[in-house]
Order: sequence, then C-alpha cells, then structure tokens
Amino acid sequence: MNREKTCAIVGVGYTPQGKVPGRTSLSFHLEACTNAVADAGLSKDDIDGLICYRHFPAASNENDLTPHLVAQHLGIEPNYLSQDAN
Amino acid sequence: MLEAGLCRYVLISYGHNELSSDSLFTMLTEFSGDDVVFGHFGATGGYALAARRAMHEYRTGPQTWKHIAVGQRAWANLNPRAVMHGRPMSFDDYLSSQYVVEPLRLPDNCLVNDGGRAVVVTTLERARDLRHPPAVILGLGQHNPSAQAAQSGALAGSTGAKKAGEQALSMAGVTRDDIDACQIYDCFTYTVEVTLQDYGFFGPGEGEDWFSGGTIGPGGRMPVNTSGGQLSEAYYMGLTPLSEAAMQIMGRCGERQLGPATKTKEPNIILVSDNGGILQAHSCCILGRI
Repeated sequence: MNREKTCAIVGVGYTPQGKVPGRTSLSFHLEACTNAVADAGLSKDDIDGLICYRHFPAASNENDLTPHLVAQHLGIEPNYLSQDAN
Repeated sequence: MLEAGLCRYVLISYGHNELSSDSLFTMLTEFSGDDVVFGHFGATGGYALAARRAMHEYRTGPQTWKHIAVGQRAWANLNPRAVMHGRPMSFDDYLSSQYVVEPLRLPDNCLVNDGGRAVVVTTLERARDLRHPPAVILGLGQHNPSAQAAQSGALAGSTGAKKAGEQALSMAGVTRDDIDACQIYDCFTYTVEVTLQDYGFFGPGEGEDWFSGGTIGPGGRMPVNTSGGQLSEAYYMGLTPLSEAAMQIMGRCGERQLGPATKTKEPNIILVSDNGGILQAHSCCILGRI
C-alpha cells in the first residue's frame, strides 16, 4: 500500500456535553468544527471539505441542519459538501 | 476526495441538542405504519427484536451484556468528560435496572445527550507537518446487508460487520490478532456483542465467556470503547468511536490512555466500527500509528 496516499485524522474537536440547555444543534456543530480545526493547528480557510453526519429531525424551533448551513456559519466555502448516511 | 486531490483538509462533524430540545419527541410523533399501530417503533424496539432473536439462536442475554455495560462504565470513570463519569455501576446495578424494551434495560441503551464532535482528516503527507501524531487510516470496509429490519436476516448475525471487517483488515494488511483495542459503535450493548462476534473475536454463543473477567475494561486483554462509548461517554453517532480511536492513537487520553497507564497493550492498531439502522449498514475502519 502506498502509505503517502493514505489519509489520517489530525485533529479532534469536543464541546460541552450532557445536559447543555439553550443551545441549537447548529451551535454544537460550529463549536466542534472550530475546536477540531484549532486542534489540528489549522485555520478555517484551510478546510475545503465538510461532511456532516446524518441527523435526527430538527427541533420544532430550528431549521433543518444541512452541511451548507454549517459551512455558511463557519464562514467557509468548501469544494465538497456532504451529508453521510453512516 | 483527499486521495484524488479534490480536497486538502476535510471536516467531519456531528452536533445535536438531543436532550434539551424536542427533536426526539418530534421523531417519535412521526412514526407511522402497521408496526407502530401494534406498538413496535423506535431504535430500542428494533434492537430489542434483534437481541431477542439472538437469545433464541444462541447463548446470550443480560449475563453477557452486563459485562459490556459495566466494562464501558469503568472506562467512563477514567474520563472526566464522560456523561457517566463519577457514576460507577456494578453487575447488580445493571441487573436491577428497569427495562426500556425487554430484553434491553436502561444501561443497555446509549445515552441521550447534548453536544457535538468533529474530526479533521487530511493526507498522511500533510499530516506529518501538523502538531499531533497522525491517526493513520490503514483500512476501510463497508457492507450493508439489508434495507429494512422487517426483511432482515442479519438481526442475530452475520451483520455487515463480517464482510466490512474482512475488507478493512485486508486493506490494512493486518489480522485480527494485530488489533490492540476496539472502538465499537454501541447504540446498545447487544450491538457490541454481535459486532465483535461478526469480526470473529468469538463464535456465536461464546460472548459471555469471552467478555467475562474484565476483558474489555481497564487492564483487560481487549479494551473496548475506552471513552465510555455511547453507553457511558456521549452519543455522536460514528464520531464517538472514531474520535476516541484517534485520541488513543495520538496518545492524548490521560488517565484512560491505553498502554502502561491502564495496564493494556500499546494502541498501535485500533479497530473502529459504525453501524446504521437496525444493524442494516456497517462501516469498519482500522486506525494505526505510523
């Protein structure tokens, strides 16, 4: 196998977790993404791909959560956006 | 995308205000159809059906699953971030807890929590310039054996884990004996059992013996779900196991770090799983140190 063509995980982003009231699902995406980028030692402008996990239905007072919405609020314009099913 | 050069750095993200919003309640109200009329709906119902089928076909049940719930809880108590940190659980606690859907008790179910998780993926070439030791993706496999639980022949195994695991190990050029630890998608305890079984760690009905004696917990010979997992740390779909595997490979897990700190094997190669639907879709990923 050509290891130089191999990929690797280089940063992990956490958020407060458990019972954290008053927060939208979007805000958790944004905080996790921001922390993961910083953890890797990168800046958001380096990010050119965004994959959001599939998600449960949005709360009744929130918009449906799309990768586009996450990218828009992160202030990035990735070449590749995807919502993955698994 | 990375290999083809179309992307350089890719974010994978999940976030949900699952506990504090009405999102899950909304989902419950949207269930419809014949199954629902007769009282069968939701993930716990589906997995309870699968677990019951397994109990019919081979020796398994609460005496097997208690080892998974208690073992993972022990890991959570080494992880200050875990939702269940500071809440130890004994076998008696497990066996006396309430049923959600028989045969699955409350601690057989993953957590419902608010929060998010994300990881950054890039090529190994670029990874070498960054600040953490990279968690290298050595192998991947995917297999999706059924579209609907009602038509599935995979509820008691073999699930997609069998072929996905074989593919991932083959791509990585390693064998099951090379695996130092596992991070297994654990929506329910039974999912952990059937997944490890389909990966070939033990045969159908041998799970209780394999798990007995603290196999998967701190100090165990095959650590599983070292953050506490979705049962005891937090639920972020596949990112709970994947992010923990990466952190262990990087050596950033503090008190729960695999190796001398927890009297376990050095985590040179970790097997990670993800699973969707009622055991309908499966992904396997082998992560390793350079």
